[in-house]
Amino acid sequence: MTSHEWQEQAAPYALGILTPEERRAFEVHLAGCDACRADVRVYTEVVAALAHAAPTVEPPSALRDRVLAEARRVRPIGAGPQIAPRARLPWLAAAAALLLAAGGGVATWRLTTRVHDLERSLAVRDSVHAADSAALVLLTGPDVNVVSLAGTNRAPSARVVWNHALNRFVVFAFDLPAAPAGRTYQLWAIAKGHAPLSMGTFNTDDQGRARVVLTVDRQIAALGFVENCGLTEEPSGGSPQPTETPRLLGAWRPTD
Amino acid sequence: MATLPNVPVPDSQLVSRMAAGEDAALGDLYDRYGKMVYALALAIVREPADAEEVVVDAFGQAWRQAASFDATRGSVGAWLATIARSRALDTVRARGRRVRAHERAALLSDEGLAAPITTAGTDPSRSVERTEARRLVSQALATLPGPQRTAIELAYFEGLSQSEIAERLAGPLGTVKTRIRTGMEKLRGLLGPLLEGAA
Repeated sequence: MTSHEWQEQAAPYALGILTPEERRAFEVHLAGCDACRADVRVYTEVVAALAHAAPTVEPPSALRDRVLAEARRVRPIGAGPQIAPRARLPWLAAAAALLLAAGGGVATWRLTTRVHDLERSLAVRDSVHAADSAALVLLTGPDVNVVSLAGTNRAPSARVVWNHALNRFVVFAFDLPAAPAGRTYQLWAIAKGHAPLSMGTFNTDDQGRARVVLTVDRQIAALGFVENCGLTEEPSGGSPQPTETPRLLGAWRPTD
Repeated sequence: MATLPNVPVPDSQLVSRMAAGEDAALGDLYDRYGKMVYALALAIVREPADAEEVVVDAFGQAWRQAASFDATRGSVGAWLATIARSRALDTVRARGRRVRAHERAALLSDEGLAAPITTAGTDPSRSVERTEARRLVSQALATLPGPQRTAIELAYFEGLSQSEIAERLAGPLGTVKTRIRTGMEKLRGLLGPLLEGAA
C-alpha cells in the first residue's frame, strides 16, 4: 500500500469497522508511522464526538445509585499495593489497560521488532486481538526497561517489563513449574548498596506460565537505578528478604 | 492552601481520584457524563433496560480501569463514549444482529438514521439542553450529504463493517468506503473546535 492508501484506513480504523485482517495490517503499519498515528488520534475523537448525535434523554434517577453500587463491589485496577489477581485481570485486559495508559505521552511505537519478539515468546500472536498486539508495542517504550531472567542450564525463564510511566512491572514466566502448595515465587530488585527489595509474588499455572502485573513499590521506584532482578521460591505471602540463592537472575536493560 | 471556589475539578482529576478508589469521584463523573452515556447507549440498544445495563457496565469499566486513563490520549468524555459504545454494540451483538437489522431498516429514510436523532433535539416534549458539543456535532452531521451520513451512522450506531454497510445499502463496497472516508474527513474539519483540546 502507498502511504496515501494507509492514511485512508485511519478513519475506518477509528470507527472500528476494518476487517480483522485489515486492522492487523494497519496496526503493524501504525507502529512505524507517526502521521497515521496522529490521524488515528484525531479520528478517535471525531468518532467519540458522534456520541453527541444521540437524542438527549433523561436517564432514570435510580441509575446513579446502581452505577455506584456496582463500583463498590470491585476495586479499581491498580488501587492498593496488592498484586492484581490473575483470575480477575486476564492478561489481555491488563495489556489493554497498559495500552490506554501508556499511549500518547510515551513515544512507544518505534520498537516493532521488540514487539514481534514479545509476541513470539508469548505465543499469543494468533489469538491476540489486534488492539492487544498494539498494547504489546506499548510495553516496550523508551520509558521501559526489560530484564530477561534465565536459569543456569535449565529451561525456565522469565521476562519482566518495567514500565516507569505506569509504575508497573509486567511479568512473563515460561516453563517454570508452579511453586508447590504453601510456596510462591518472589521477584527481587537488586541494586548495588541495597538489600534486595521485594517486587512482589506470583505463581505459575500448570503450564508453567505466568503473566502478571505488579505495582512498583515506592522504595523500588526511589532507587533510580536497579542493576539486577532475581527470582526465588519463598513461603506463601513472600519473605522480607530472599531465603535462597536466586533461581533465575538477569540484568535490567533498556528495550532498545 | 485553599482551592479557588467555583472552579470545577478537571475531569482528569476525577479519574485520578477514581483510580485511587474514591467512589465519590465516580459519582461526580456520572453527574457530568451519565446523561450523555445513557443517551448513547439508548441510541444503540434502543431498549431502556438494556441501556441501563450498558451504563452500569460502562461506568464500571471506567472505574476499574481509571488508572489506565491517559489525558494526553484524549478527553475523558471521549474515553467514556468509546467504552459505552463498545459495551452497547456488544449488547446488540449478543441479542442478535439479524433481528435488529429489520428494526433499523424500518427507520431508514432519505435523510438516513439521523432523522430520528436530530429531530429529537427539537422535540419540545423532551427536556433538551443542547450543549455546544451537541450543537456542533448535529450541525456537522447535517451538512454531510445523506449517503455519507447514513454510512457513518450505520458504522457508529450499529457497528456494521464496511461490507455490511454496502450490503445494507445495496451499493458497491468501494463507494461505501469512499463515502465513509470523505464524510469522516469533513467531520474532522467541521468538528475542529471540539477536537482542538484533544489533538
